[in-house]
Amino acid sequence: MLRAAGRRVLGLGLGHRVPAAASARGYHERVVDHYDNPRNVGSFDKNDPTVGTGLVGAPACGDVMKLQIKVDDSTGKIVDACFKTFGCGSAIASSSVATEWVKGKQMEEVLSIKNTEIAKHLSLPPVKLHCSMLAEDAIKAAVKDYEAKKAKLAAGNAETEQAEKVASA
Amino acid sequence: MRTSKNCSLFSLLRTRFEELLYEKTAKGGVLVGSTNVFGRTVFCLNNRPYSIFLRHFDLPSNSPSSCHHVFPKLMVTDRLFCSVEASNGESPRCWNCNGAAASPGPFLACGLCGSVQPLNQSVDFFEIFGLEKAYDMKDKNLETKYKDWQKKLHPDLVHSKSEKEKAFAAEQSARVIDAYQTLSKPLLRAIYLLKLEGIHVDEEKTVTYPDMLAEMLEIREAVDEANESQALKQIQTEVEAKFLTWSKSFEEAFKRRDFDDAITSIERMRYYDRALEEITKKL
Repeated sequence: MLRAAGRRVLGLGLGHRVPAAASARGYHERVVDHYDNPRNVGSFDKNDPTVGTGLVGAPACGDVMKLQIKVDDSTGKIVDACFKTFGCGSAIASSSVATEWVKGKQMEEVLSIKNTEIAKHLSLPPVKLHCSMLAEDAIKAAVKDYEAKKAKLAAGNAETEQAEKVASA
Repeated sequence: MRTSKNCSLFSLLRTRFEELLYEKTAKGGVLVGSTNVFGRTVFCLNNRPYSIFLRHFDLPSNSPSSCHHVFPKLMVTDRLFCSVEASNGESPRCWNCNGAAASPGPFLACGLCGSVQPLNQSVDFFEIFGLEKAYDMKDKNLETKYKDWQKKLHPDLVHSKSEKEKAFAAEQSARVIDAYQTLSKPLLRAIYLLKLEGIHVDEEKTVTYPDMLAEMLEIREAVDEANESQALKQIQTEVEAKFLTWSKSFEEAFKRRDFDDAITSIERMRYYDRALEEITKKL
């Protein structure tokens, strides 16, 4: 039984090992690429009604991730995205990939982006899986923020309309 | 655990264990305290706890002919807490001469025969330095106690001993180093205190506390943008003050045994700690 258990543990380790293209330190070349050539780093205006901001953190490692989306109100399509992440290389790469993937998609579509897809794309080792989870949560938080803003705006408009009606009556 | 007698590994373990048990008990060493835990007999041999599911177990007399050991199921559990003192009121015994430990606390070297003792995992970091399980470390002379330990465990003092004792000394030394490194840093100390209470803080969860995260983002951005040491030191002072506030908050929460608050404090402390790390790197 001990032998079988040992074999299982080894198998698990081997399955997740990074492919031959990896650097000696163990980061996949895609992760290194995102780190060296960051895309979509930046900030949108938080108060812009077409912007949704997702701010998430991982207290276990002290990471902070901010992912912002710019949405076209009429079509519900995400026209632009940017991020700002303070954390390890895997976290930065995960959020970078997330911004690339959400661009040009519908808001409902991006909610189905799973952390496992991001992790597979970057060949993240098991110990860094939570970084991709953080990115998935950031996308969801950004969408949620945009929807909340929209709802608030709609409620605010309805109130103003009511007030105007009453005033003019 | 396996009961099949066809498993060669298991048979090997069984044989070895039988021989070991016989050898140790025949030599008059350390079969201390057996209690029944969930239908298994638990006993400690040389400060290593063993758990064994027994059908027949006769304590052998010293004559080789009357040994009956039947071990249908064998489980070696290093993690099982073995309170040797608690089980029969005796202090741990030396593996070599069976003498009792001279004083309470970590049993390092036998007072009677001078042989180095194996590591006792149940002694926690605080006990190693003779401190109570509290967060406050002022005036506790941690560093002095640490240096005292290292003097006792110095490699030169064991180079004339057996390989086994050298290995024991190395283990003991590594543990003392671990203990010092954990207890000397407030954040690690806090996490360790909760660990002793059975609470694990390092869960990989995501949080969305907007205010806290916005504050952390601001701090990290400020650190990123600041390029002269003056500005960095300014930020460092501010963040250190915040760390101190939450550090006190942890202490209070821990004393009240409000573990949720304690965990919140630790989370904030960790964020400030990361920021301070980044500042130190830049300075």
